[in-house]
Amino acid sequence: MTAVTAGHRPGGHARPAGAAGQQASAGPARPRRDRPALATPARLRVLLAGLVLLSLAWGGFGGWVASVHSSAADQLVAADERLSLDAQMMYQAIADADATMTAALLTSSQPSLKPLQRYQRDMVTAATALSRLRAGDGGHGADASLTALSGGLPEYAGDIAQARTEYAMGYPLTGGSFVQVASEEAHTVLLPAASAVFTRENDARQAASSQATGLPLMIAALAVAIVTGYVLLRAQQWLTRRTNRVLSPGLVLASLLLVISVIWLAAGFLAARSDLDGGIAHGSGPEQNLALASIGVQQIRGDAVLNVISRSGSASFADDFQATSKQVGPGPGSWLSAAAGAQRSGGSGAAAVAAAEREAAAWYTANQGVYSLGSKAAYAAEQQLVVGTSAAGTAAGYNALEADLSRAIAADQAAFESAASAGAHVLDPLAGVVIAASILMAAGCAWAVTRRLAEYR
Amino acid sequence: MAGNGQRGLRLRGPGRRRSARAGIRWLAAAGALAVLTAACGAVTQPGQPTRPGPASGRANALTETGSSLLYPLMRTWAAGYAKQAAGLTVTTASTSSGAGIAAASAGTADIGASDAYLSSGDVVKKPALRNIPLAVSAQTVVYNLPGISAADHVRLDGAVLAGIYDGSITRWDDPAISAINPHLTLPAIKIVPVHRYDSSGDTFLFTSYLSTQDAGWNGKVGYGTIVSWPTPAGALQEKGSLDMLHACAAHPGCVAYNGISYLAQARAGGLGEAELGNAAGQYSLPDAATIQAAIGSFVSLTPASETISMIDGPAAAGYPIVNYEYAVVSVKQPDAATASAIRAFLRWVITGGNQASYVDAVGFQPLPATLVTLGQQQIQEIGA
Repeated sequence: MTAVTAGHRPGGHARPAGAAGQQASAGPARPRRDRPALATPARLRVLLAGLVLLSLAWGGFGGWVASVHSSAADQLVAADERLSLDAQMMYQAIADADATMTAALLTSSQPSLKPLQRYQRDMVTAATALSRLRAGDGGHGADASLTALSGGLPEYAGDIAQARTEYAMGYPLTGGSFVQVASEEAHTVLLPAASAVFTRENDARQAASSQATGLPLMIAALAVAIVTGYVLLRAQQWLTRRTNRVLSPGLVLASLLLVISVIWLAAGFLAARSDLDGGIAHGSGPEQNLALASIGVQQIRGDAVLNVISRSGSASFADDFQATSKQVGPGPGSWLSAAAGAQRSGGSGAAAVAAAEREAAAWYTANQGVYSLGSKAAYAAEQQLVVGTSAAGTAAGYNALEADLSRAIAADQAAFESAASAGAHVLDPLAGVVIAASILMAAGCAWAVTRRLAEYR
Repeated sequence: MAGNGQRGLRLRGPGRRRSARAGIRWLAAAGALAVLTAACGAVTQPGQPTRPGPASGRANALTETGSSLLYPLMRTWAAGYAKQAAGLTVTTASTSSGAGIAAASAGTADIGASDAYLSSGDVVKKPALRNIPLAVSAQTVVYNLPGISAADHVRLDGAVLAGIYDGSITRWDDPAISAINPHLTLPAIKIVPVHRYDSSGDTFLFTSYLSTQDAGWNGKVGYGTIVSWPTPAGALQEKGSLDMLHACAAHPGCVAYNGISYLAQARAGGLGEAELGNAAGQYSLPDAATIQAAIGSFVSLTPASETISMIDGPAAAGYPIVNYEYAVVSVKQPDAATASAIRAFLRWVITGGNQASYVDAVGFQPLPATLVTLGQQQIQEIGA
């Protein structure tokens, strides 16, 4: 812009040659001087193209950033959160089905309707969750685990059916060995696969969460907006120097639109981020801890049942029980305590988590007795304590604890969906607003510069 | 664990089993047993580790330890295989099924032998372990009853044996025993029940039988490789199959359970062999016909993991306590050469080693073809 061939600016002031002109004659040593200088109309055309492209670039990039955040929020609410919950439900259902059916067959060769219905409900829940997870598997790498589950669930159900047949025919030991085979299938294939799916879906949910609330892209968009604003300002100044008009209405309009769209984008993003963060902190986060606690409870219950059917007096799950119960909590750093600390006071989730903490402590005490009996090879008493239906048995405590955890998970899920949906709705229109503003900006810039060009004609 | 149920029992060391009341009869029995034991070769002392440290990993020297019931056959397999595969030796040891599983699990032996399939706890804790049937076995119940000839077999069933082992039946002339033995005049002597106190597949099989036929036993004691035995006065507890025989031979009135592979020694020691009652109420001795009849209905049911209980099955002509003898191995061996050697040995055992020349000598039955196929599939999984 400094090497100028003096031209006549219609209605404008004659530009003094000034220092630039003197520099132009300073000698051939400077390469810039060798370039042919553009005439003003040509420079205006370059400016027109530059401003239009920059406006559209802002719209494109800002809109893309808004779209990325909006899509991530929608994905989080509509897919990842639910798939993560499905994975947890599937684990819970498989573990509960195995514990329920094993306990029922150990109790009676002709199980009553109640445990049979519970087993069937669990199997349907597991199959339904698996179906949704397969449909929603968007390259999370869970294929091998889902395939193992797809093949393993019917095999497991077949072994249980064979066990029931053997028991019904009066061969409890043969039936027992089929229960053992089924339980081994559940504990060595199905549950590890379900756990892997849960971990992956949880990771996907956290990735979507980070993408929906992450700052880097939004900061980049604001940087583009600042660059755009600066260029608009400089263009305004340049035109002002070449015309007797202080302001170009088109550029002023473009600048206003830029400011409005930036504020809209930033405010909308911050509001949505606040909603999403709130949903994660008080909904999704504690829900994840509760899901882990539920899986831990299932592991403790499953191990206790396995210890009953192991019958060797040598397979001790006592150490695992101690470690898992500490992780589940309550206690410093435990899943239950973390979930309790993240609840909104007075909410239904808080009450359910508090109840779960109370139930857990009592349940652990009952489970201690299981391993004590197992270590003495007192199988009959151990079996009664694990699968018996009395209030002193571990089954009652397990049922109460799982019910509390399920209520708390449902409450946290609702809290998350409410907050995250609100945030996602705020993000939804942002891309359209930024793109529309950028198109109007481009039009304003074009209008401003073409008017100057028209004056040359 | 076993100690809980052992208070009040007379614990006897190997050197203290001599009973003054056994007299000349015992001396004759002990002499016969000593001859037979010597004929079978040296046996690793119960409790003595198979070898120190981890499995060698040398492809030309495999180690096996575990079931004392399987031991006599395992030793002949080892000798037979050495002729087939030059340069490869299989060192065998008679310990117990629990010890065999523990050794295979810990990697201190290449192969563990067990009369019982792996427990769910073992499978879940050590998912690399597999139980592979090597042959079909049966369990015998033997007794030391003066005045009852070897040709006469006392009939016993699960309910009576449960009564004997829980102390509610204390004498051989008890009406419950006489009722199922109208053809015999049973002596009016005290019953001395003997059980294993180590982790034993024999105990698993025997208590399984009691549990299926006696609801009271199942509700109070149950079944397992170790159980919390009731403690009737005079009951004995021993470790290993040979000690069971020694103890029974030394105590008139004794009743004990043992693998069929020790039946010849039991007979030589003057012990009688009981006919056992099955679910259909039929009494039989364990022979080829009754064992084959018993397993017939289970072969097609055997799952891919080959974990199945065949106790007290539906066959009317079947002997009630039959089982697969298992090799417990890890599918993750320390090196490919060891894995290959184990695969080759086990393949030979379930095929060539199941020929009559091997299994007949110990009263075992060869694996049905279906089990050989399932076994081959499991053996194929063994790798490094």
